[in-house]
Amino acid sequence: MVNFTVDEIRVMMDKKKNIRNMSVIAHVDHGKSTLTDSLVSKAGIIAGAKAGETRFTDTRKDEQERCITIKSTAISMYFELEDKDLVFITNPDQREKDEKGFLINLIDSPGHVDFSSEVTAALRVTDGALVVVDCVSGVCVQTETVLRQAIAERIKPILFMNKMDRALLELQLDAEELYQTFQRIVENVNVIIATYNDDSGPMGEVRVDPSKGSVGFGSGLHGWAFTLKQFAEMYAEKFKIDVVKLMNRLWGESFFNAKTKKWAKQKDDDNKRSFCMYILDPIYKIFNSVMNYKKEEYEALLPKLGIILKHEDKDKDGKQLLKVIMRTWLPAGEALLQMIAIHLPSPVVAQKYRMEMLYEGPLDDEAALGIKNCDATAPLMMYISKMVPTSDKGRFYAFGRVFSGKVATGMKARIMGPNYTPGKKEDLYEKAIQRTILMMGRYVEAIEDVPSGNICGLVGVDQFLVKTGTISTFKDAHNLKVMKFSVSPVVRVAVEPKNPADLPKLVEGLKRLTKSDPMVQCIIEESGEHIIAGAGELHLEICLKDLEEDHACIPIKKSDPVVSYRETVSEESDQTCLSKSPNKHNRLFMRAQPMPDGLAEDIDEGKVNPRDDFKVRARYLTEKYDYDITEARKIWCFGPDGTGPNILVDCTKGVQYLNEIKDSVVAGFQWATKEGVLSEENLRGVRFNIYDVTLHADAIHRGGGQIIPTTRRCLYACLLTASPRLMEPIYKCEIMCPEVAVGGIYGVLNRRRGHVFEEAQVAGTPMFIVKAYLPVNESFGFTADLRSNTGGQAFPQSVFDHWQILPGNPMEAGTRPYGIVQDTRKRKGLKEGLPDLMQYLDKL
Amino acid sequence: MFYLIGLGLGDPKDITVKGLEIVKKCDRVYLEAYTSILTCGAEELEKFYDRKLIIADRDLVEQGADDILADSGEKDVALLVVGDPFGATTHTDLILRAKEKGIKFQVVHNTSILNAVGCCGLQLYSFGETVSIPYWTETWQPDSFFDKIANNYKNQLHTLCLLDIKVKEPTLESLTRKKREYMPPKFMTVSEAAKQLLQIVENKKSEELIIGEKVMCIGLARVGSETQQIITCNLREMSEVDLGGPLHSLIVVGPTLHPLEVEYLQQFSLKKS
Repeated sequence: MVNFTVDEIRVMMDKKKNIRNMSVIAHVDHGKSTLTDSLVSKAGIIAGAKAGETRFTDTRKDEQERCITIKSTAISMYFELEDKDLVFITNPDQREKDEKGFLINLIDSPGHVDFSSEVTAALRVTDGALVVVDCVSGVCVQTETVLRQAIAERIKPILFMNKMDRALLELQLDAEELYQTFQRIVENVNVIIATYNDDSGPMGEVRVDPSKGSVGFGSGLHGWAFTLKQFAEMYAEKFKIDVVKLMNRLWGESFFNAKTKKWAKQKDDDNKRSFCMYILDPIYKIFNSVMNYKKEEYEALLPKLGIILKHEDKDKDGKQLLKVIMRTWLPAGEALLQMIAIHLPSPVVAQKYRMEMLYEGPLDDEAALGIKNCDATAPLMMYISKMVPTSDKGRFYAFGRVFSGKVATGMKARIMGPNYTPGKKEDLYEKAIQRTILMMGRYVEAIEDVPSGNICGLVGVDQFLVKTGTISTFKDAHNLKVMKFSVSPVVRVAVEPKNPADLPKLVEGLKRLTKSDPMVQCIIEESGEHIIAGAGELHLEICLKDLEEDHACIPIKKSDPVVSYRETVSEESDQTCLSKSPNKHNRLFMRAQPMPDGLAEDIDEGKVNPRDDFKVRARYLTEKYDYDITEARKIWCFGPDGTGPNILVDCTKGVQYLNEIKDSVVAGFQWATKEGVLSEENLRGVRFNIYDVTLHADAIHRGGGQIIPTTRRCLYACLLTASPRLMEPIYKCEIMCPEVAVGGIYGVLNRRRGHVFEEAQVAGTPMFIVKAYLPVNESFGFTADLRSNTGGQAFPQSVFDHWQILPGNPMEAGTRPYGIVQDTRKRKGLKEGLPDLMQYLDKL
Repeated sequence: MFYLIGLGLGDPKDITVKGLEIVKKCDRVYLEAYTSILTCGAEELEKFYDRKLIIADRDLVEQGADDILADSGEKDVALLVVGDPFGATTHTDLILRAKEKGIKFQVVHNTSILNAVGCCGLQLYSFGETVSIPYWTETWQPDSFFDKIANNYKNQLHTLCLLDIKVKEPTLESLTRKKREYMPPKFMTVSEAAKQLLQIVENKKSEELIIGEKVMCIGLARVGSETQQIITCNLREMSEVDLGGPLHSLIVVGPTLHPLEVEYLQQFSLKKS
């Protein structure tokens, strides 16, 4: 631990080239938090006064009980590079001259998929990510999800292969097998990186490479770790080779013949892979001799490796001794911190290429330039990524990153919510920042001001922002982009207080819950029901618990979880639908048709989006989906919320004054796509075409009051005549288990309408991975069911994957979708029965 | 029998004798209250007719036509419309509906602003297409009516501009919700209309316009009532004029005038008053 006063930390904050903001990301149970602990114990900063108090990374009680991380925590660390290591930093923007110390702000985030939104929030405020992979189970579903997200946010990754102790002790892999395992994981990770990053892009090459030192190996649990750099340094003198050159030789197809002392590119009879020979062999020797209690052997070995044991450790043996030896030889903190300082970008480097992804406004205004140059003298631009509850019930710290300028206690700033548009007053507050604070684990320290490139908390902003927002002093500033979550809130429950008199407390509690979690949605249905929507069963369970115990503090009744559905169409409308405005003088003629496969997903991922240049977008749609080019250029809008996976296309020819009603038609479209005709669920994958419009000659008779409701009626008629269908959310599940349990998994999946699409043995282990699609609706109680059917040996990880049409006609009584539509309508307080086409369709 | 009765410009006594007789004998009488308003209140009408009236707002007339027409096969039902029944275009649909249902109907005409506008001295023959000027919102600012005014002007014609009234209009936000909220009633004044026209002139600066801020206009207020007011000046001056309470209308005068028109207009000149 490093003892620092706030003033000393503040001095480091100005040396922005020596700052590293990073997150630790991984699949659940791959050992992030344990690894983080070993970093913190080496370099964690605690303000002088707090030293010696309770454990620094002390977390929530339920986190410890469940052994998973639920909320991300930020920790600051300080680390000095030695002179010999400084040469590895070649970019002048990666280090201030004459400064060896580095301020590392680390965010440890949860690994369970249900809490991915916490990861998203962490990624936004950091520039680099330490990706931790359990080398026994390899790259898993959540590794891929978060890595993909990291690349999309332009976060540079480095890789750490964790749990090497298990590979050696439990699996007893031989050296070559272990090398192959490592090699495979590195490749898997690089494949994901290559899929989502372009080497010629602004971030450049971000692939991880052991020979460059951007891949670490070790065991977080035992507290040891190394990169090739550590070993290259040990051997450099012996071989009289430069460290960098040697690192290249220690990885990949590089073999050394001990007899002839020659290097080769191929495997021969009497040469050996250098990685195995120089790195794995010594480690294996230590493991073998210590675990087999061969005292003479290891006592002879230790001095050779330069390991000197402390007196009190000499009496230990077995695992305990092994830990001590490895920790002394290859201390994890040292190797990891070097890797972080050398390979992760400073804010100065990162903000240069991240600016265009972060800022919504013109890329050459004052705010944009301030972010690009990480300029502490430019106007303030700060992004609030999440709200952290304070010890004071009901109040929150706004946690975020200063990208430009300085944020200071007492300064007046513009607080802009996600709905703010420049020039308007909605979602905008001009208020003084009550206090700026440093957030270190659970502790906070007041600080005078915080310059660009740093992470901090603000007091007194929580009442103006719901979850996230932008803080600026620049009057013409646009928003920093809102975060895109990789999971969606597809599971919902209705809640009500056990005692009806507690309703106001529940409402207040829901407000606080919304704030405290980056993704959870709290909705009031028209029927008056309070709905909480989350990513999965576990996420909801935690939210409900928080609501009951922390936010509302009242006993709560909750309904069974239900999933949200989407409405879509399966054919083109069987007629051109006509609807007349209330005054009968305006007529709309439209049809609905399903989008081609893949387009809805393209829109979700932003490959096709409303901000695209319309010509570029039209070319893409024409090439990939065979859309007519002139029609593809006339997409009026996306919806719901202006960005959703439904489009409205203008296919009219020469209608006069059409542009005067466009806004009204768009408003009607947003409304209809948000609340579909069947059960008022969102629409998905529907393309609406406007074929003709008849308008009243006078502008006053074709205002919003006439056009908006008419558009909605017409769209509803289009849907009803296009064979409407329901879509349900589908999870992708990865289940890891021993071979004997595979049969049990199939049984459970079959009962729950799931189907397996991949089953494979994890290379080098007796474990199997079964990958399956499972409807979210069938996932409640899945984990428990699976465990009881496999003797507790199978562990699923489910993450939302896609939407799938539920077979059956929702307009036909007795089908499954019909039942769902009726249940949903009942729950929402809508008229039971089916929507009547005649209500929406008019005759000429 | 279904009767569609024009009420004239505003005074309760403007109703025709024929109309009044029908009102008195009808079983139900609706008063349409959104395409125009009476300068007097509905209470005064009730007093004058000595009977109850049912106020029909936009929702009732447009979407509840069946309620209005219900049983008018057997009973006598009247809908009172300020001005002339066909002055406001909306009511043709009612007649079509009645026809469809085989209900007999009768129309009683009356004066409308469309002919009363002759009070300013311009010949009705030389008016072109009539336009309405709607209230702009932040996002909805149509200007197609400006082109029509310009077209009239090019063809040596005057343009009568009817000005927006909002009696019980739902707010834009509430249009996409189930619960309707209504805007407070408001009536466009000639100065507001002139300001919107000036704004269009400003927006279209780059194009070559044949009408600009110097074009001659006539502002009319409460035509047909005792407090009727008429004023003539150019568009820029009109944006500063206050003609008092509703209803207002605006005329954009054509480029050439008959000498008699000129002489008549002089009495309303802003400079003179």
